[in-house]
Amino acid sequence: MTAWNDSTGGIRASAILKSRPFLTLAIVAAVWIAASFVSRGFGAYGHLRYLVELGAVIGLVAAGQTFVVIAGGIDLSVAAIVTVSAISLPLLSWQADPTGLVSILAVLALTTIIGVVNGLGVALLRVHPMIMTLAMATFLQGLLIIIAGGSAVTAENPLVHWLGNARPAGVPAGIILWVAVSAIVLTVMHATPFGARIFAMGANPLAASLSGVPVTSTTLAVYGISGFTAGLAGVLVLGMNGQGYVGIGDPYLLASIAAVVLGGTSILGGLGTYAGTIPGAVLLVTITALITVVNASPGWRSILFGSLILGLLLLSGREQARR
Amino acid sequence: MSMVPSAKSAGALYWPVQARRNIGVRSLFLVVLAFLVAYGVLFPGLFTASGFAKFTQSWFPLALVAMAQAILMLTGGISLAIGATVSLGAVIAATTMAGPLGVAGGVAIVVLAGLGIGAATGFIVVKLRLPAIVVTLAGSFIIGGAALLILPRPGGAIPAWLSDLLAGDTPAAFVLLVVIVLLWKLYLATPLGLSLYAAGENPVGAYRSGVPVDAARVAAYAISGLLSTGAGLFVAAQTGSGDPVIGTAFTLNSIAAAVLGGIGFLGGQGTMRGALAGSLLLSLMISVMFFLGFTPVAQYVAQGLIIIGAVAIPQFRKVQP
Repeated sequence: MTAWNDSTGGIRASAILKSRPFLTLAIVAAVWIAASFVSRGFGAYGHLRYLVELGAVIGLVAAGQTFVVIAGGIDLSVAAIVTVSAISLPLLSWQADPTGLVSILAVLALTTIIGVVNGLGVALLRVHPMIMTLAMATFLQGLLIIIAGGSAVTAENPLVHWLGNARPAGVPAGIILWVAVSAIVLTVMHATPFGARIFAMGANPLAASLSGVPVTSTTLAVYGISGFTAGLAGVLVLGMNGQGYVGIGDPYLLASIAAVVLGGTSILGGLGTYAGTIPGAVLLVTITALITVVNASPGWRSILFGSLILGLLLLSGREQARR
Repeated sequence: MSMVPSAKSAGALYWPVQARRNIGVRSLFLVVLAFLVAYGVLFPGLFTASGFAKFTQSWFPLALVAMAQAILMLTGGISLAIGATVSLGAVIAATTMAGPLGVAGGVAIVVLAGLGIGAATGFIVVKLRLPAIVVTLAGSFIIGGAALLILPRPGGAIPAWLSDLLAGDTPAAFVLLVVIVLLWKLYLATPLGLSLYAAGENPVGAYRSGVPVDAARVAAYAISGLLSTGAGLFVAAQTGSGDPVIGTAFTLNSIAAAVLGGIGFLGGQGTMRGALAGSLLLSLMISVMFFLGFTPVAQYVAQGLIIIGAVAIPQFRKVQP
């Protein structure tokens, strides 16, 4: 009995050690430890907490992106949706809504609808996800400039302000939100029939459809979720920033995809977990922070960022061999 | 692609194969023709020498990036770094050509940069087996950063005679395009070119049949980089100076043109003539919107809608036979 227990325990331990989420987590820990030796303030609790808070925004955007990528698609409109959320929320605030909850819900409904429209294009019009979401991003970008122009809009929403600045029990509200969303996402992804259908669809859409997976409605739901979480990230980023402007969401496109891939989810679909995306998001923020410490020109910063992501991909993002 | 002509019957099969390849893009050609006629009627200047020159010049860079994207998509790859590579080509041209290296040296550096960047990207994607979308997205940061390092703000210069030659009242752009298309035809006849479609359509089968799949794909990336920096050189000649972010819009437009032209995302589907027709259609739409007085912002909105519509409508017809 004991021997049997020991051996399964051993197998389980080695499986955890070899799993991609754990690998990504280990890289984060290694980078944090190395960086705190090099730079004094880096390892301070306050700084690390700040990093995770920034990571929450990427993590939220990447939550929807993980769903979409596992289902075999990709969402290139998340940056535009983040901006839509951060700009339309201040415009939607009105007097009869003292807590600001109603306008937040309205904005989240709006971004979810945008996501569902993406899904409609992909599922019913059969436009390739990359084209559909890129065109949607182009469309939204034009619309945003028409609506908001070049000026920044300030949010007067108490709940948004609380979300971006409050620290109940020393933990930023954004992190609490991220933890809550993560718990829901992981449950939905790995413990519901819906989650199983997403993996089936991403692995083999034809087989999934023949086995009775409602491909159309699942696709709509997946892109709707991506719109929702991108909208949520927009609300959070607005709260942390205080102001929304055109282009506020731009950094989150590459970040969301990179977090997903760094976390071990296959860009080809059908394989992956949000548990890897979470450390992936923190890793990205850490890289950005390190680059800021280096104090280079914008050109070098951009080169460093791209190179580091490429380097990390080499560590953890490789696709299986063809033969 | 299902038939493999034997050496003897290859000549006899050439035209039927070409005709069959035209089937998929016939309706697209009709739409492009209709647009061209409408454009010619609206703006009769098209049929003068300088009008034709100006029109082909506005189309030329888009045609190059459409080819750059199409050759990758034919092998089953994709690049989100086309725009950044165009920018890099533009700033290299603008900083070298007026200097001691002269035009010839500048062109050589632009060509080498394009081939080098493309080959490096291809090596990372193909040999290290990383997903192309993410590699080129990260690559766009590196390449865009390099462009910013070379020329932090718009500036530099292109010799006036080169600007006049490429973007003046001469049909040089059209002649160049014809030459490039002929070179493409030649390339398709080389072993690497022949492997292109096979590597895209069925990489495993092609590999097992002895097709140099990896080499074909790396070569495709290198050519794609060359076409992109070439487009950058032309854009720099058009504007007379370099701008480190001038190419940004080309990423989406290159994908849109290729997809409008019937190139599939899965590799091995579509033809270069389709991609060129797609880029011409896109270029015509942009010109028409410009002449009709759309603001750049409204152009964004309209372009987004048109691309979805153009891609969706044929698909929709296919679904309901």
